[in-house]
Amino acid sequence: MSVSIPEKSKISHFLVFFLISSMQIGIGVLGFQRIIAKTAGYDAWISVIIAGLFNHIIIWIMFKVLESTNGDLVSVHTFILGNKVGKIISSVFTIYFVLLATAVLRTYIEIIQVWMFPDLKTFWYAFAYLLATIYIIYGGFRTVTGIAFFCTVLPSYLILTFAYTVPFSNFESILPIFDHKLKDIFLATRDMSLTYLGFETLMMYYPYIKNPEKSKKWAHLAILSTTFLYTVLTIITFAYFSEGQLEKTVWATLSMWKIVQLPFVERFEYIGIANWNLIILPNICIAIWCSSRILKRTVNIKQKKGVILIALLCLVSLNFFETRDQINWLNDLTGKIGFYVNYFYIPFLLVTVLIVRKVKKK
Amino acid sequence: MTNRFGVGLLSLFFLTGCVQKEILDDIAIEIARGYDWKEEDKIEGTMLVYNFQPDKSIKNTTLTTTASTSRELVNYLQEQSPEPLSEGSLEVFLFGKKLANEGLIDYLDAPIRNASIGARLFLVVVDGNAKELLNGNYGNRGNAIFISNLLLHNIKYENLPKTNLQLFFRDYYEVGKTGFLPQIKKIDDNKLELNGISFFKTDKIRVIDTLETEKMFYFKLLVDKFSEGSHIVERDADKAVIRSISSRHKMKITKRDPYTVTVHIKIRGIIREYTGPGTLTKKVITKYEKALEEEVTKECEALIKRFQEQEIDPVGLGFFIQTRTRGLHLKKDWEESDMYKNLTVKVVTDVKVLESGVIE
Repeated sequence: MSVSIPEKSKISHFLVFFLISSMQIGIGVLGFQRIIAKTAGYDAWISVIIAGLFNHIIIWIMFKVLESTNGDLVSVHTFILGNKVGKIISSVFTIYFVLLATAVLRTYIEIIQVWMFPDLKTFWYAFAYLLATIYIIYGGFRTVTGIAFFCTVLPSYLILTFAYTVPFSNFESILPIFDHKLKDIFLATRDMSLTYLGFETLMMYYPYIKNPEKSKKWAHLAILSTTFLYTVLTIITFAYFSEGQLEKTVWATLSMWKIVQLPFVERFEYIGIANWNLIILPNICIAIWCSSRILKRTVNIKQKKGVILIALLCLVSLNFFETRDQINWLNDLTGKIGFYVNYFYIPFLLVTVLIVRKVKKK
Repeated sequence: MTNRFGVGLLSLFFLTGCVQKEILDDIAIEIARGYDWKEEDKIEGTMLVYNFQPDKSIKNTTLTTTASTSRELVNYLQEQSPEPLSEGSLEVFLFGKKLANEGLIDYLDAPIRNASIGARLFLVVVDGNAKELLNGNYGNRGNAIFISNLLLHNIKYENLPKTNLQLFFRDYYEVGKTGFLPQIKKIDDNKLELNGISFFKTDKIRVIDTLETEKMFYFKLLVDKFSEGSHIVERDADKAVIRSISSRHKMKITKRDPYTVTVHIKIRGIIREYTGPGTLTKKVITKYEKALEEEVTKECEALIKRFQEQEIDPVGLGFFIQTRTRGLHLKKDWEESDMYKNLTVKVVTDVKVLESGVIE
């Protein structure tokens, strides 16, 4: 049942930290504030923390599920449903990861088009980007991990730039705390969970971790740090924008860069958006890697071929989304599916795994 | 290996032709824009662009045209410009007084919608005509830089409260707060001055009242959390310039139904100049402290009364009350509500003069 991976292509346990956090931080960070403030107003920062706590539970559940079969998502499915049905269910997840990669890449290209170059061609940019992705995945999972590491560390300086907003902020705007109904806060928690998406990829690369037991700590640390980062960013945003203003700001994080003033650059957004290229690179690499990995495990297509196939699928589907509404729809769809996968399907897996194990023992 | 390298190189070639290039020498960089009322439903727009001279000085070049909407205006001005206009380094937006009295709502959509305009852009009301003001020649670094530096230093050290595009729209969209903008005036072809603060009604963003320069000191004490500024205190025969080096305000709700808000203003200052018959003894300094305390209390209370009468709330009292009251969600028209009219505001001032210069 368990998947055997040669020792030399496995990764050290602490690198799980970068795999998880780099996958979580993607395109959602640029505009999640408006969405959560819609329901819970300026109490939404509480929702950010609550959603983070839920993620800890989900990560714990994931490790429990994976430990039971000592393999990946595909082995879990075959364990529960048998070889054939298990593989059919697993291949559905190929589409899910393709959707994830497509949504991230299309939204990023939209941002470039709105903020920098309105005449950028979606197709050509995506073509070049996906070529790089294929190249990285050809290097194997260790290279993908390396990219995740660098693309977390290198752009991390961007956090400092948000300090520029503080002189123009009023932190009293989040007062009074708990001024909204508990129901609204939990609704915003659901909306927030969309921004946190991405750590379900752990279900695929788990067999590649050298010492899974030790990696748990790092996985939780990753969740903790993204929760912390998002909470701080939310509070800064709420202090900087007034509630009515945030309602009208599509990309609040990007709009905050408009206040940055540096002697050598007039508009900092250009640097920030260019840097975001790095931040979404692991998002797309890991998603496409997972997708092609499932293909390999289910229908036995060599990963090198599978990657090209999936990249092509992404490239084609990207072009169907042209306007803000369509892209919004794509993001909503991905978010919703991701929400059910993470918060319903994975706990459901744990329950069935436990039941099946009991039955099989008897 | 060479194969992969080749693919990488190839993709670079594909990318170069993808977007419109903007080479600095081939574009006209717009640094200031002015709007004036021309006739019913017609505005006159003036655009100031950088024009670098071979001797490193900057000539002020303006383009002017008449149109009915802001976007149309930019299109017409493109027709006048030999190079494509770029909006990325706009410093100031000027609005003629007459237009500001009519309402600015139609002209302010452009700067907030446009991704390439910065949040530090200054919005300024011109006492007079924006076109005439932009056609002057101030300083040697261009008119726009002159205006923005003038405002910047007055914000940092003098009596102008913090203001820019972001802060104005923050207030505009905030419930229980209204916006304000600085007002400048052309004196002659080489001079201009800051001559007040304009207060806006939220409905059409129109000016309803303008604060005199002398009262800006008190207004800044009320709106900026931490501020600097200077003020002349006059007593019967003598005068002193007191410079506030650090001041802060704290608001408290002291009574509900009807609301009473107490504003504690704390000023720490130094005496910069003193003219009078006596010497500046400890006793005299204490008298000055008292005099300033009384003056600030009186003037600040009067200012708030004035705002209540005009149905504007630039201090953000509504916003403040809302942040301190659970379950209270003010309506958009808070400024016109009875609650605001019946609000009592008490100002308590505490002044301390720390130093009085290097002579006794």
